[in-house]
Formats: sequence, C-alpha cells, structure tokens
Amino acid sequence: MPSPSFIRRKWITSAGGKRVIPLLLLASGVALLALIPLSVQSTYALHIMILTFVSIIMGSAWNILGGYTGQYSVGHAAYFGVGAYTTMILLQFRHIAPWYGMWAGVGATIVTALIIGSICFRLRGPYFVLASIAVAEIFRVTALNLKDLTNGAEGILVTELPPLKFGDTVITDFTTKVPFFYTGLITALFVIFVTRGVQHSKLGYYFQAIREDQDAAHSLGINPALYKNIALVISAVFTSVAGSLYAVYVGFIDPGTVFSLDVSVQIVTIAIIGGIGTILGPVIGAIVLVTLSEALRSNALTNALIHAGLVNADSRVGVFLKENLSHAHILIYGILVVIVILFMPQGLLGFARRIVTRKRKG
Amino acid sequence: MAILEIRHVSKFFGGLAANSDVSFEVEEGSIVGLIGPNGAGKTTLFNCITGYYAPSKGDVVFRGLRMNGLQPDKVCRLGMVRTWQKVRPLTNLSVLENVMVGALCRTNSLFEARRMAQEQLRVVRLDQKGALLAGALPIGERKKLEVARALATRPKLLLLDEVMGGLNPAESEELIQLILEIRKKGITQMVIEHDMKAIMRMSQNIVVLNSGEKLAEGAPEEIVSNPRVIEAYLGAEV
Repeated sequence: MPSPSFIRRKWITSAGGKRVIPLLLLASGVALLALIPLSVQSTYALHIMILTFVSIIMGSAWNILGGYTGQYSVGHAAYFGVGAYTTMILLQFRHIAPWYGMWAGVGATIVTALIIGSICFRLRGPYFVLASIAVAEIFRVTALNLKDLTNGAEGILVTELPPLKFGDTVITDFTTKVPFFYTGLITALFVIFVTRGVQHSKLGYYFQAIREDQDAAHSLGINPALYKNIALVISAVFTSVAGSLYAVYVGFIDPGTVFSLDVSVQIVTIAIIGGIGTILGPVIGAIVLVTLSEALRSNALTNALIHAGLVNADSRVGVFLKENLSHAHILIYGILVVIVILFMPQGLLGFARRIVTRKRKG
Repeated sequence: MAILEIRHVSKFFGGLAANSDVSFEVEEGSIVGLIGPNGAGKTTLFNCITGYYAPSKGDVVFRGLRMNGLQPDKVCRLGMVRTWQKVRPLTNLSVLENVMVGALCRTNSLFEARRMAQEQLRVVRLDQKGALLAGALPIGERKKLEVARALATRPKLLLLDEVMGGLNPAESEELIQLILEIRKKGITQMVIEHDMKAIMRMSQNIVVLNSGEKLAEGAPEEIVSNPRVIEAYLGAEV
C-alpha cells in the first residue's frame, strides 16, 4: 500500500533530474520578493512579511532537529531567547552593534545547545520533550531574576540603533522596515538553502536514520549522541539568529515574550502545520500562521465577514465577533493544529501533494 | 584462525543470569550456528557481542581487540554488524536509501554510497525495489533488506538474528542460498536460527545454549546425536 509518506519521498527525490525549470522559477520568485519593498509602500505589509521571514527561519531551524532527526524539542524558546538577550544586552548596555552582537548570541547559543543536548539527549521520546520544556522554563525564570544583567521583568528597550557602516559609507540607519525586510529575506533563504544541503548529504541520511530507528542506526555505525548534537547545534544557531533579528526589529524584549513556552509551541506549530521533514513545510506553515494570526488580531476576518454581507455588523453575532475574535488567535491556533494533526498528519504540504498525486493517478 | 573469541562471558540482569560463563570461538570464513530453546540467551549474547550490552563478566575479543564496552557504532566500524530478530527498516526512507545509510559508514560520498547500495541490493535480489519505501516491503523482503543493509557496512563478521523467522519455505531456502553465497565472499557469519535443518546445512560449527549456559558445541552431526541437546529440546526420557 503506498502510504502518504511514499508520495512525499517521491516528490522530494524527483528534484534530481530536470532542475532547470524549478531553478528558474525559484530565481524569479526570489527576484520578485526582493523587489517588493520598492513597490509596496505599506509598512504594515512589510511588517507582516518580516514576521513571516522570522517565522520561516524559526520553523526551518526546528525542522532540522524535529523534522529530520525526530527529536521533538518544545524548548526552542531557550535558543531564541539566548540569541535575543545576548544581542540586546550587548546593544543596550555595551553599545555593541547588533550585527556583531548577533554572532556573540550564536556563540552563546552553541554553548547552551551543547550543554542542553548532552543532558536531554539521554532521554528519548516524550521524556525528551518534557525535559526540553523544563530547560526553556529554567531560562525564562533565570532571565526574570538576573535583574542586573537582563533588567528582569522590565525587559530591554532599544533606545538607539547605530547605523550599519561599511568603512565610512552608511549602508543603512535602520529607520525604515526595508533593511529588516532584506535581512529577514536573506537569512530565511539561507536557512532553506542549508536545509536542502543537509537533506542531500550524509548528515541528512544519518539524521533521518536516527529519526526512523535509533537502535538500528546505532548498529550501522552511526553515533546517535553525536549526530543529535550536530542537528541541535545547527537548529539552535538559526533559532538564535531569528531571536536576534526579532529583538532588534521589535526593539523590545522581556522574558515573557522571548523565553516563554508560547514561543516554543509556536515554533513547533509552524513546522507541524506546514509539514515536518520537508524543505518547504515550514515556509508554508509560517505564511499560513502569520497571515492568520494577523488577520485575527487586526479583526480583518470579522470585517471581511461583515463586508461580504454574511454577518450584520450590528447583530449580536457581529458584535460578538468584533469584540472577541481578535483575542481568540491562540484558540484558533489550537483548533488549526488539531485539524492538521487529525486530517493531514503530513502537514499542509503533504496534504496538497497527496491531492495532486491522486489527481494525476486517476 | 579465530575472528571472534567469546571468553567466559556472563550477563546478569539483577539476579537473573541471561548468559553465564559462555566461551567459544568463531573461525574466520566459517558459519557458526547458535541454537537453543526460547530464553536460552542467544539474543542477549548477540547484544553483548555487538556493544548493546556490556558483558557483566568475561571478554569479547574481535580480531584480537577486546570489545567490552565499545559502542555499537564503533563495533560496526571495526567490521562486525548484526541484523535484528524483529526487523528494523527505516520505514520512511526508500529501500535504496536504507542500504545507503549502511554504506555511508565506509564513505562520505552519496554517489559512492548509492553505488555500493545498489551492489548489495543485487546480492539480495532487491535491486528492482530500490525506489520503494522500506515500510512498503512484505516481511520476506524486509529480512533481505536487513541483510543488504548490514552487508553495505562491509563487515568481516555478520551476525544474523533469526533471519528466517516467519518466512515460508521458499523464502527460507532463498535466504539459505544467500547466506552460503555471503560465505563465499569470505565474510564470517554467526547465525541464530530455530530451523534445525537449515542450521545443519549451513553451519560448520554449532553452539547450543540452554538457560544462559553453553550446553554443547561441535559439528552438526555431533550436535544432533548429543543426548544433552536432545534432552534440552525434547525433554528427558521418563
């Protein structure tokens, strides 16, 4: 019986032969994306796209550990937060520009990841998941209490951002959203590129072997502890970069926004909704989730329903939706995850592929 | 020359001795059969040999190297690989990719690994099924996939844990031929099997385990006429 994952594999490996057309499509897509800030004047649209890029980076980063290596970490807020806090502390209290601070964040994250990995990877399955949650919580509580370093619950607000200079030429002073757009776009593309590289390498095969059966992998000359830690470090580094980017872009962080369980769950959700263990899954997941949560937050969904004449603005239902739907995005998230897990265990990407393949066959 | 020496190996789980004071040698190039009733400690011994357990007492010496406490991945790199009684295919990878994972133990190049994997798939006659998902294979072919994947790691010594379990007679016969073919390539094999006829045909030497202890060792014809073995298998005469 050809299972859904059979179809998934076929699609992924079919990238081997005719590469020219997809490459052209990819190049033109990237070019279009790169041109967006020139034509789109709406800062709100740019804002949503920047958030989407950050989400793509987070989701793809998690995917390397969770999707390919099968280690479902629900504690990636730890790496997100370590990146964000290192960059922000250096920026605000030591006046070190974020494009240097970010690398310090990466360094701190690698150390963190190796310590966490050496402890948590002794555990398997649900026990690993619980340990990863606990570790992230430790970081949140620590950030809350190390007031001298982190400002505690007050958080850190960026008061001035030094301009990015190349020699004496000012490249950008970060007063608009455009530089963040390009930074996000380039980083997101880089992560996708790295994921692709991993998938088509010895590393990727070893990761997947561990995901499929750790004991069998071990008997075939694979050191599971070593390769899990490699996957974790790659994953944590990109999560940390996403954290730095997010922190500098938003300009404010506190333990509740960057170290919270919400962040960890959101990261996993992006990957699961899109389709784990695939290159494009987290991209699709990020687009869907960011768009959806923004649509709910800004009441766009309610307004659309009213505009379409489906709901009367002054009726009881209309008033209820207006008042409550914007607060309900967490609830909708939850419902979406349940639907995806029940009906599309391969994520939106896997689901779409299944339909396409079915149509082709018959 | 002995490629593997088991020296007074014991393995305790709490108070239970799964193996106690087992000693024997495996001659290079031979096929050694390991038999015994259920619970005799055959699989435990495999686990002690391949690094999944550390023996509580005694030594496992492979090609002159003491292996105790070496992790399975190191054991595999040194040239000793096992298959699993309950097959463990990497279900969401293709058949070819499963074998490639084994081959990647000897090469860093995917291209080379793919070539080596195809070669091993031909040996077990699964070369037509390389693109299928491993999870889609029926049990007989999963067993052959286990063997191909293990062979791809280029072992000197192959340990087969009941590869014929659950197979029909035609499939078993195919595997017997395969095991004899592998021997011709100079790969030493140690085989756990319940099918006595198959073991008699393949092995040069048979080791019988019972309740964790070595009951007998010898050529197939000696083993079938050994009264202690008959007693262990059929019960004592009244």
